[in-house]
Amino acid sequence: MIADIFLMSLDALRSHKIRTFLTLIGVIIGIGSVIIVTTAGSSVRIFIEEQWNIFNPTGMVIGIGTAGDPPQISFREMGFTDHDVEELKNLSYVKEVAPIGLLPLKAIKLREGFLKWQSKAGGTMYATTPALLDIMGMEIEEGRMFQDKKNEIVMSKSMTTLFGVDKPLKVGDTLYIQRLDGKLIKTTLVGILKESENSNIMSQVTSLSIAGPVDPYYSTYFGSNVGGIFKHVTAYGILYADATDKEHVDDAKNQILNYLNTSSDAKNYKDKNSDFVVITQQYIISKVDQITSVMSMLITSIALVSLVVGGIGIANIMFATVTERTREIGTMMAIGAKRRNIMSLFLYQSAMIGLLGGVLGVILGASGGAFIIQILNQYLKELGGAFSTGNIALAYSTQWFLIAVIFGVMIGILAGVLPARKAAKMDPVVALRYS
Amino acid sequence: MPDDIAIETNSITKIYGTSKVQFRALNNVSLKVKRGDFIALMGPSGSGKTTLMNLIGCLDRTTSGEIILDGQNLSILNDNQLAEIRGKKIGFIFQTFNLVPTISALKNVELPLVFGDMSRVSREKIALDLLKKFGLENWARNLPSELSGGQQQRVAIARALANNPSIILADEPTGNLDSATGLQIMKYLASINKEGKTIVLVTHDNSLKKFANRIITMKDGEISEHK
Repeated sequence: MIADIFLMSLDALRSHKIRTFLTLIGVIIGIGSVIIVTTAGSSVRIFIEEQWNIFNPTGMVIGIGTAGDPPQISFREMGFTDHDVEELKNLSYVKEVAPIGLLPLKAIKLREGFLKWQSKAGGTMYATTPALLDIMGMEIEEGRMFQDKKNEIVMSKSMTTLFGVDKPLKVGDTLYIQRLDGKLIKTTLVGILKESENSNIMSQVTSLSIAGPVDPYYSTYFGSNVGGIFKHVTAYGILYADATDKEHVDDAKNQILNYLNTSSDAKNYKDKNSDFVVITQQYIISKVDQITSVMSMLITSIALVSLVVGGIGIANIMFATVTERTREIGTMMAIGAKRRNIMSLFLYQSAMIGLLGGVLGVILGASGGAFIIQILNQYLKELGGAFSTGNIALAYSTQWFLIAVIFGVMIGILAGVLPARKAAKMDPVVALRYS
Repeated sequence: MPDDIAIETNSITKIYGTSKVQFRALNNVSLKVKRGDFIALMGPSGSGKTTLMNLIGCLDRTTSGEIILDGQNLSILNDNQLAEIRGKKIGFIFQTFNLVPTISALKNVELPLVFGDMSRVSREKIALDLLKKFGLENWARNLPSELSGGQQQRVAIARALANNPSIILADEPTGNLDSATGLQIMKYLASINKEGKTIVLVTHDNSLKKFANRIITMKDGEISEHK
């Protein structure tokens, strides 16, 4: 009998297609926006996690710039010395520190014969220590990491085709690095870095295409020095550091800032008005979370409002339907329908509207979510820089599909209770006389 | 009480309205209808004939007095039990046919059996047989709006018979039909009566008197004439 009453409710909906659809719109929009929010949220979260999990989760960037929220690192200002690096390494919550010296290159050259050279524009080389590998969570695919004080470099996989796809550079090849000051340094390629499947933010920030030891490449470079005429000191604009464990990232940060602000060399070399800045991965993630949570709160409230409006719409149309079908209700009572049969007839109908709204809303939300991700990816490309090669993959949080449909049905039932009660409580004599 | 009494009313009174404004629709009406009777309830509008029919049909409750249907005292039953009696013992036929517009003729006939919780297969067979009996087998899948008035009323009669009730209550069944179609409907009612159903026909059309074996005329809530 339940199935039959259910089918009758369906028939009633089918006979008023336009009305049913109009009633559905509110629920569709409400459910649809919930699905869009959850889809965008889960996709962006997965994207962020991918971006950052490649980089060591205990990692942080130390620089000079403006403290505040958000903090900014000016890559131009230099001040950290090798002495600072050593002192920072001794802090109890700091596991490892690597300096980053930016070395602009004039060219990278390959000698193919006695007088035959191939030359390519060089970009920027990173002068650092082997510790960088661990801090950035990178791996060597072929060969090994460079050693300090040797004419060795490592490069990213994509760089190996610098002189042509047909003749990729191999471990053991000899290259000539020409600095901006013209100095040519003979170099051996000792390792090729494993390319991560997803380009991550850190690899983009550093665009770690070529890296080598500070000595000899960087320490002899005029642009790396700070200090007076008589006392030249090699200095760096950025340091990468690694905390001992996830629980002590903030402690490490405080220790670092404390050292830098009290007894560091950098304190003397930096501009008076600049601050030391430490950006941890956790800070960035919390920022992203903040933005996404504001976004989802906003859209969730829109969704709630439209669901309430949708529910009221259903209730309204159900009251109209009950009134319209008054005589039918009387007739059904006359031929043996009990009050609860009448009640369920209308409850099924409104639940059905909710279910339909839920299902259509999920479909709308799923396609809307895909659309939003597409727009976000477009935006990321236009944004350029660190994010430009990243791609947010569409990730549905499917449990929300089910929750949304159930929610739709619940709204339908809630909205239907009063009209259905009205129908069930009718006096059959009055109902039959209704015209 | 002899077994051949289908309907018995013992000085029933029905008062509508609030304590301030009251309308006495029925006053002390006592009546016995034998099994297989064809009663015509006549009288001007407002005379109480429809009220009497509604009370017999378990759609309403008396203010005082009792109604006994097939030996069952209605005044002691609750809403659900009354609904069950309506579903099992009574078949209603209305002036305006009152078919459910969103479902087919067949489903309309099946409806009382749906509420009576019968399985789909058996009730479809019953409904189809009934439609066949009234020459509507080719219209079974049509919606009521696709049928003529006479056809709709035949569907309604089929529906009234679906539960195999012992009493058929017909309230102006020909009121919305032309006289030829009305006559056809009355002939169907007469044949149903011959099959043993007790029929109570509410009408103010004098030409229908001839189908009844008893005529009860009402006036101002009381029985004024009994033939």
